[in-house]
Formats: sequence, structure tokens, C-alpha cells
Amino acid sequence: MAGPLAPTRTPDPTVEEVEDLDRPWVTIVWNDPVNLMTYVTHVLRELFGYDEPTATTLMLQVHEEGRAVVSSGPRERMEHDTSRLHAYGLWATYQQDA
Amino acid sequence: MRPFRRRGGDVVARLDTAEAHVLGLLLDQLEQLLDADPEDVDGDPVMARLLPAGHRSDPELAADYRELTEAALRSGKTDDLAAVRAGLPPGGGEVRLDAEQAASWLRTTNDLRLALGERIGVTEDTEPPEDPSGEEGQQLAVYYWLTALQGSLVDAVAAGRDARR
Repeated sequence: MAGPLAPTRTPDPTVEEVEDLDRPWVTIVWNDPVNLMTYVTHVLRELFGYDEPTATTLMLQVHEEGRAVVSSGPRERMEHDTSRLHAYGLWATYQQDA
Repeated sequence: MRPFRRRGGDVVARLDTAEAHVLGLLLDQLEQLLDADPEDVDGDPVMARLLPAGHRSDPELAADYRELTEAALRSGKTDDLAAVRAGLPPGGGEVRLDAEQAASWLRTTNDLRLALGERIGVTEDTEPPEDPSGEEGQQLAVYYWLTALQGSLVDAVAAGRDARR
């Protein structure tokens, strides 16, 4: 499900994580009617270090398709990414990739 | 209001007396919400938007997430709010922010828009009020004023980042 733009982060495999390696976790940003498009782009650049075209493409995907995967990797990292997005008021969740 | 513009390493705006007053009142209301006994605001859609669930369908995972992150999210919002209050001239006037203060203003003005937007039911199709005199019109006018303020701040901050690179 992770789009071609979602960064692949190298997981740090531990015994518990090995069975999940084929199904990484993802952080998803959902569309909402309040957050400004410029703000969403700014936050994606700020938090994930995306360049402007990448952040803009992800923002437009959120706006037009209702959601976009903005990062993928181990569960703990996705929890952390979700909380960083929540600190900026973006509507984000994490889940194991389907 | 004179919207935010880049000036050197800072961003600068100017607020009228009435605008500074309204922003102060909104900060008070946000602070009350954040300080409220969680049981009193349980189920409040505004709180659900300010501190969202981390997972859409798995209540156990969502509860884990909340336990892990909520305290830090709350204290971050409280710190941001205090930073905005410290930079707000009570009687109006110039607002000058360094990069760190600007980040606090961005997050807090966003929280205010999220809270107000949720209360008045803003959707993708909402438009600025034609008649800003009734209560609903006034709230919408405040919402759009916040949108202009935050929008100018995003642009000024982004311009500064592009200039650094």
C-alpha cells in the first residue's frame, strides 16, 4: 500500500519483529477541511525532510484522494511519526500495511 | 492586521487592539480546554481533534498510543500556548518572532482553527460569511481571520527556509 513516494526506512530487526518484516507499518495522513494546503506541505518538509516537490505531491494526494502514506517502517517509529504529526495538528494514524 | 512578513531572521506582523484582544480570548479558551478534567471533556469532538486517536479501528492500539503520547502532546500544546501569549502585545502592535517562536505560533494558530472549525462545523465548502454580524457570522469571520494570520505565517516561515537553502 505504501506509495512510491513513501520513504523506505531500514528496520532494525529484532526477534519479535522478524515475522512482521514483510508487512511494514505505515503512517497515514488523512484529509480534513481545516488544515491549509501550504501548512500540510510545510509540516511534511519540516518533519520528514522531504524536498518541496515530494511534500507537495503527498499533500495533493491527501487533498484529492483523502489520504496518503507519509512514512513506513517499524511500529515504534510509526507511533513516533504519528505523534509528531499530531503535535502539528495533522490528522494522522498508523497501522500495519494491508 | 498587517500579515506576517519575513524581516531578517524574524517574521513580523502587526495586530490591531481588537485583534490582539480576540486572540487573547481564544488562547484563554484553548487553555481551559487543555486544563479541563479529562472526564469533563470526554467525547468532546474538539478534544478528539486536538488529541486524535492514533489508530482508526483497533481500540487496543489506540489506547496504547494514547498512554504513550498524550502527556507529551498536551505539554507541547501548553508550552506553545505560553509562547504565543508571551509574544502577543496585549493592546495590539508589532508581533516579532524568531524561528522557534514562529513554530509555536504556527502550531497554536492551527489548534485554534481546528477547535473553532470543529465547533462551527467547517467543511470543504465553507465560505467567508456574507453577513458577519450574527453570532455564527462572527465566529466564521474570526475563523477566516485566523486563517489569514496563519496562512501569512506559513508563507513567511517557508520563504525563510527556502532562503537558507
